Amino acid sequence: MADQPPNARNGKRPKTALVLWGLSVAFAALATVFGLNLWGYSNPLYPIALVDRAFLSTDTNRRSYADLVRAKEDLSDFDCYACHDKGKPPTLRFDDHQNLIIPREHSDIVMGHGEHGRNNNCFNCHNENNLELLQTRDGRVLKFQDSPQLCGSCHGPTYEDWEVGAHGRISGYWDRKLGPFKRQDCVNCHDPHSPTFQGRKPAPGPHPLHVLPPKAPPAASD
Amino acid sequence: MPPLDSFSTQSEPAPAAGMTRRSFLRTSAVLTTGLAALATSLRPLLELDDYTSVERFMQKYYKEMTPDDMARVLKRIENEVQKQYGIRPHVRDLRPMDGVQFVYALNLTRCIGCRKCVHACVAENNQSRNPEIQYIRVLRMPHGSLDIEKAVHDYAPESVPEKGHFYMPVQCQQCKNPPCVKVCPVHATWQETDGITVIDYDWCIGCRYCEAACPYWARHFNFTQPSIPKDRLNPEMAYLGNRPRRQGVMEKCHFCIQRTRAGRYPACVEVCPAGARKFGNVLDPTSEVAYILRTKRVFIQLKEELGTSPRFFYYFDV
Amino acid sequence: MRRGIRNYLVFLRRCALIAFVGDARYYLWMGVLTVICLLGLNAYAKQLVHGLITTGMSDEVSWGVYIANFTFLVGVAAAAVMMVIPVYIYDNEELHDLVIFGELLAVAAIIMCLAFVTVDLGRPDRFWHLIPGLGQLNFPASMLSWDVIVLNGYLLLNVHICGYLLYCRYRNRKPSRWFYIPFVFVAIGWAVSIHTVTAFLYVGLGGRPFWNSSIVGPRFLASAFTAGPALIILALQIIRRVTAYRITDKALLTLRSIVQVSMLINVFLLANEVFKEFYSGNLHVASSKYLYLGLHGYHALVPWIWTAIVFNLIAMVLLVLPLSRSLKWLNLTCVLCIVGIWIEKGMGLVIPGFIPTPLGAMAEYRPSLNETLICLGIWAFGLLCYTIFLRMAVPILQGRLTQANEGLPGGRPGPVPLETQLRPQAASSALPPP
Repeated sequence: MADQPPNARNGKRPKTALVLWGLSVAFAALATVFGLNLWGYSNPLYPIALVDRAFLSTDTNRRSYADLVRAKEDLSDFDCYACHDKGKPPTLRFDDHQNLIIPREHSDIVMGHGEHGRNNNCFNCHNENNLELLQTRDGRVLKFQDSPQLCGSCHGPTYEDWEVGAHGRISGYWDRKLGPFKRQDCVNCHDPHSPTFQGRKPAPGPHPLHVLPPKAPPAASD
Repeated sequence: MPPLDSFSTQSEPAPAAGMTRRSFLRTSAVLTTGLAALATSLRPLLELDDYTSVERFMQKYYKEMTPDDMARVLKRIENEVQKQYGIRPHVRDLRPMDGVQFVYALNLTRCIGCRKCVHACVAENNQSRNPEIQYIRVLRMPHGSLDIEKAVHDYAPESVPEKGHFYMPVQCQQCKNPPCVKVCPVHATWQETDGITVIDYDWCIGCRYCEAACPYWARHFNFTQPSIPKDRLNPEMAYLGNRPRRQGVMEKCHFCIQRTRAGRYPACVEVCPAGARKFGNVLDPTSEVAYILRTKRVFIQLKEELGTSPRFFYYFDV
Repeated sequence: MRRGIRNYLVFLRRCALIAFVGDARYYLWMGVLTVICLLGLNAYAKQLVHGLITTGMSDEVSWGVYIANFTFLVGVAAAAVMMVIPVYIYDNEELHDLVIFGELLAVAAIIMCLAFVTVDLGRPDRFWHLIPGLGQLNFPASMLSWDVIVLNGYLLLNVHICGYLLYCRYRNRKPSRWFYIPFVFVAIGWAVSIHTVTAFLYVGLGGRPFWNSSIVGPRFLASAFTAGPALIILALQIIRRVTAYRITDKALLTLRSIVQVSMLINVFLLANEVFKEFYSGNLHVASSKYLYLGLHGYHALVPWIWTAIVFNLIAMVLLVLPLSRSLKWLNLTCVLCIVGIWIEKGMGLVIPGFIPTPLGAMAEYRPSLNETLICLGIWAFGLLCYTIFLRMAVPILQGRLTQANEGLPGGRPGPVPLETQLRPQAASSALPPP
């Protein structure tokens, strides 16, 4: 093209014409594709299941006997003297390794309060003379709804924290002037016979917007 | 070879004397098809549904609104939510209380990694379910190390807590020296007097600079229109808090401003089954957070060396 | 006064009309660019409707190719004006008129930068929040607010300088020194500042240790002054080929020496960075590991960065050798520089800053088709603008589009003046040794 003589107008015109017609065709094709929406948009989102409502519940770990009393529920299962005799302390039986033998009637209780059988005696906490009460090691007698004091008689630092609200869940109003707050009792979270927090299934993990591609297999030198 | 001056032998210019009918047709063909292509290229905009309105476009900055302006805006938001979800919400503009500095303390001995806080937050704050936005991210850390690079986010065992690990939930630390506030080009995010760093969702331009600046990955962006199931909408809303957001704006944990400024605990505190989360006004010496900061001996402020001065204190009991 | 305005409007009209006039190559070039622009426009319309989910970005990697291209182009814009230094400070006559081509490239690059930032915004309808006075511009705390001011200021500076000089040439008048020389010197300083401010966008983020390093600013400038003049070297040769505009090889060689020194500095700074990251073995190197070696089984960027490093090293060697004084090798070197620096500044800087996330999670980033089309559309638009600017500027500089021939039928530019025809033509492509 560079070595054409200057007056090659007629030689150049068909080339320009070709280009311009070509452009018209290209634009018309684009207009068609756009206008008819032939190249649509595909939604990249993958389905994510809604979380089970159980994970949203603010219920405590367990309900205590005191809760049942407060809610005035049927306590016939918990009537100690339906089976035991008043005034006669129940006998505890131990096996050869000093482990407590749980009687068949109380088989739902699993003893796990302290390792190596440290807290193996029912009457460390229960009052053998009045099974409807609790007792501390130093002889104080407590009602069931005052059970935190019993726990605190051994677990001092935790009890101090609990009193202020630093241990265990507090719900309601942080601004005590504006409304009530609820501090849970120890037994609302801890089973007094086996206090360690039980494991549970966690709620679902995060779903990133763009799922990570599969990892490369580790190289021999990794 | 000398380059030819091509313009002295060029073709015709635009409509002028000396044009043939063929060249005129040719030129108009190009121009017409070109303009048609230009017009049709914008066809997707036909699907633009409620992108903005004159009122929303002209809406003032939060700090410049008069009470009347705010009342009008709140009413408009209520109408919009009712139209979209069929539920009439109650939207308020709650102001910070005097003499309050919120502080959050998280007991790492107690957290079991159950992620209930994550989902309670999502439910309380009307976050998008798909794409999923979650303000809280629970990290599973190996026993003995606080190295974030060893964190695992997507643990899914049959039972938590897992032996040999501890769990650290991370959300907006409401820093006293927040990098996100510093970098926002339009002041769409700022820290209020009670310590909460808030976002004016109607002012944010969506540049995502704050998301790049946050060292805790606490800020989240609406990459598309958020989707909230109608039956899970929380109708108790606040302007700076959990009212539904739009496509293209940032959002993050705001300490459940609609609850905390009314004196209540945030949703994550209420739901934690282990009582690991503690929240309150640190200026009140009788609050549990003041007690914790007084009596516990070791606190971890994440990435303390960055000088952000977070309001979040992680600690261990045992 | 009215006559002055009328003259100016006629000038603008003629400039606008001449953009539609050209030969087959011109129409083909402009046509292809327009097609790409339209595809990009359509992709952007989809992005406006559906949001940024149409891109490959996510909360993990929240800035992608838009900001990567923006960063690269701010460098090009800054460097285009650095050609000005030899002319005005060192009185290099060879480059005198070419300064305008450099500044026009700066204008086109800034237009592209502004376009990239706009398409990256989640709510572009709220752009007015950035206007000081009307909105709430967070100046001076936010580096992005600095960027808004300096980029727009730079655009206005260059539009003024080019516009004034071209209009004076059009009217065959000697430009008054006071109307452009001070602006030129301000533009030199301003060019350094636009790129430093862009660097500070990244450096100022303490939460991203990959970026929070003092070497980022100097590296930005070094790589900008490599890629920018390299682009200009290529652009000038294209101008020389398609128009009769006289551009000496000596001008190209002057630009080559700028690229040479800048590339040496750039590679030296790269060596500094690599040493600092990997020698001491401290823990904050996760992002660098991801970039250069791969991390936890993810290594999408590793081939890219090593390609960039190889290109840069080859270019550096070629630039140092006299071999690159020959135009064929110089062009290859320029292409290697541009591609290498585009990768290292774009994908090699922006993306690794996000991986792993501040909470240690891994992510990968891949631009989506929609995102890529928008990027190509903006690049095409920038090239379209630059071509139009040149299409107006070259006839004016050659004296063929002047006020004197306003009355010609159809406003057609007149024949080449005798003076231009009699200028000695460029020699062959191999240059005599110095």
